[in-house]
Amino acid sequence: MLREDGSTLGVFDVRLGRVETFFNLVAAACIFVLMFLGMAQVLGRQLFDRPISGYIDFVELSMATFAFLGIAYCQRLGGHVRMEMFLKMTSGRAHWAMEVFGTLIALFVIAVLIWYGFDHFLRAYRLGDSTIDAELPVWPSKLLVPVSFALLWLRLLLQLAAYLRLMINPSAAPVAVPRAMTAEEIAAQEIEGTN
Amino acid sequence: MSSFEIGIAGVVGLIALVFLGVRVVYAAAFVGMVGLIAMLGWDAGAGMAGTIPHSKVTTYTLSVLPMFILIGYLAFHAGLTERLFDAARKWLGWVPGGLAVATVIAATGFAAVSGASTATAAVFSRVAIPDMLKYGYDRKLAAGVVAAGGTLASLIPPSALLVIYAIIVEQSVGALLVAGFLPGIVSAIAYSIMIVILAALKPNLGRPIKGFTWRERWRSVPGTLPIIAVVIIIFSAMYYGWATPTEAGALGAFVVFVIALAHGMRWKGLREALLESAKLTVMIFSIIWGVLLFVRFLGFAGLPDAFAKWVVTLPLPPLAIMIGILLFYTVLGMFMDAIGMLLLTLPVVYPAVIALGYDPIWFGIVVVKMCEICLITPPIGLNCFVVNGVRPDIPLSDVFRGIMPFFVADVVTLALFLAFPDIILWLPRTMHMS
Repeated sequence: MLREDGSTLGVFDVRLGRVETFFNLVAAACIFVLMFLGMAQVLGRQLFDRPISGYIDFVELSMATFAFLGIAYCQRLGGHVRMEMFLKMTSGRAHWAMEVFGTLIALFVIAVLIWYGFDHFLRAYRLGDSTIDAELPVWPSKLLVPVSFALLWLRLLLQLAAYLRLMINPSAAPVAVPRAMTAEEIAAQEIEGTN
Repeated sequence: MSSFEIGIAGVVGLIALVFLGVRVVYAAAFVGMVGLIAMLGWDAGAGMAGTIPHSKVTTYTLSVLPMFILIGYLAFHAGLTERLFDAARKWLGWVPGGLAVATVIAATGFAAVSGASTATAAVFSRVAIPDMLKYGYDRKLAAGVVAAGGTLASLIPPSALLVIYAIIVEQSVGALLVAGFLPGIVSAIAYSIMIVILAALKPNLGRPIKGFTWRERWRSVPGTLPIIAVVIIIFSAMYYGWATPTEAGALGAFVVFVIALAHGMRWKGLREALLESAKLTVMIFSIIWGVLLFVRFLGFAGLPDAFAKWVVTLPLPPLAIMIGILLFYTVLGMFMDAIGMLLLTLPVVYPAVIALGYDPIWFGIVVVKMCEICLITPPIGLNCFVVNGVRPDIPLSDVFRGIMPFFVADVVTLALFLAFPDIILWLPRTMHMS
């Protein structure tokens, strides 16, 4: 199934990437909306004595969007924090083996969290849980966790395949894995963000 | 195994995983989850773990983070740095090393709309270094002042690091943000004094820039008004409590958004700023729930309490232990990103620091200042790499050498914080809430 040049992986990488970018765009849009909402809330309260009812409940529920939806996008770009000191000391097969190990840990954790996170959602759905103040239903917000994590799990699975391919054949060109960056490259990325 | 032993095994396991390069969120969540399962059994342990991401993250206090992050990314599209630097050099250019002092002051101003140190160093490398070199400033000084000036962003609100600290140790976000102002300004003054002394001793480092009329000076002020507006909004909202941090952040973001539009930001720029904000936000939120899962497990194991009790019985004065902790952070900061470092260590270090009798707000500012110092020290002082990245003509070794005086100034500043905690605590103490 996996061709030598990793082109199958590349195809999956691109397709999954589109969904991830879309999810992250939704998260980004929610941040933008939160800005207007916060402004409306404070102006409404201070100037017209008319706060938006249920504002805090609504913000808390909507936070699940930008807290979770972009998690796979961030994983694809290698954005989650880690310590790379020892990873950078290794190269070739040992290096890719460490990446495989880290990805396996992540796959296990996220699998359990999808399962029990879905449980968490299901309970809220069946019981008709709602927020105390505005009585907004809680389940849509809770559903975002297993959904976002499922996408992340697919990304991790793809990365596992990609790292295994490199572990077996360390001389192959890396496909569908975030590039390990040197301090210079991280700096370059930071600089680009401010252009 | 007793639950205490499971706790110790967990800490050791987490350190091992992090050293092996497992991303902090997965490493912390994995150890926390396995630990909870070991103590409570599979269903109760994993069930508890499954509720933590959603319940820990959807709390209103945390919603300030995306707002502060958004302010930071929008600020780069608002053309504020050029105007700030222009005003600062017209007002302060006359002192010895005037352009370098102006860079520090402009970076202090920009810190009020930015919580990201590396990004601040990047923009000032572009704005201030060319000007300093044009006037014959020593390039080590020019590079050093930009790298160091960038670090002011994390102390002066909006600061994501201070918010993260507040959340982890369950202190008032508002009080921490208010507390950050004065130490940020003290740091800036320390940098400025250092520059003036150096340039007065060795005029070749950087000559005063003279010849601006008062008219020119005053005309440079209006360009900085948006910054002043954001400072007033955030500071007064926290200080007088007329808005929550999230609301103040939203107002501040809106002000910067409007300025950015006026400055020519279009759909592409906005999309970029929003996507970047979302990426940084999810990264921070992920590590928060990961670490909080680990913290839940630690709490069950009773480890933070035990560690705090042990630290208190050490036959050392609290100041010696505090200096030891700060040195520990200096070393750790050489290998790790500030956010990861804070989140991983605070659950254990914080209760011990409090048991020693230190103030929670004070320690927050000191520890964030430590994170900032790590951004300019070798081997991975990221700010120095950023300066070198924008200006490849200035070798990295020169940047690190240029940073030395500012590192000394930072050590002096930290000593001041230790000797006179009121520099940090005076403002929040006069606040409505504390």
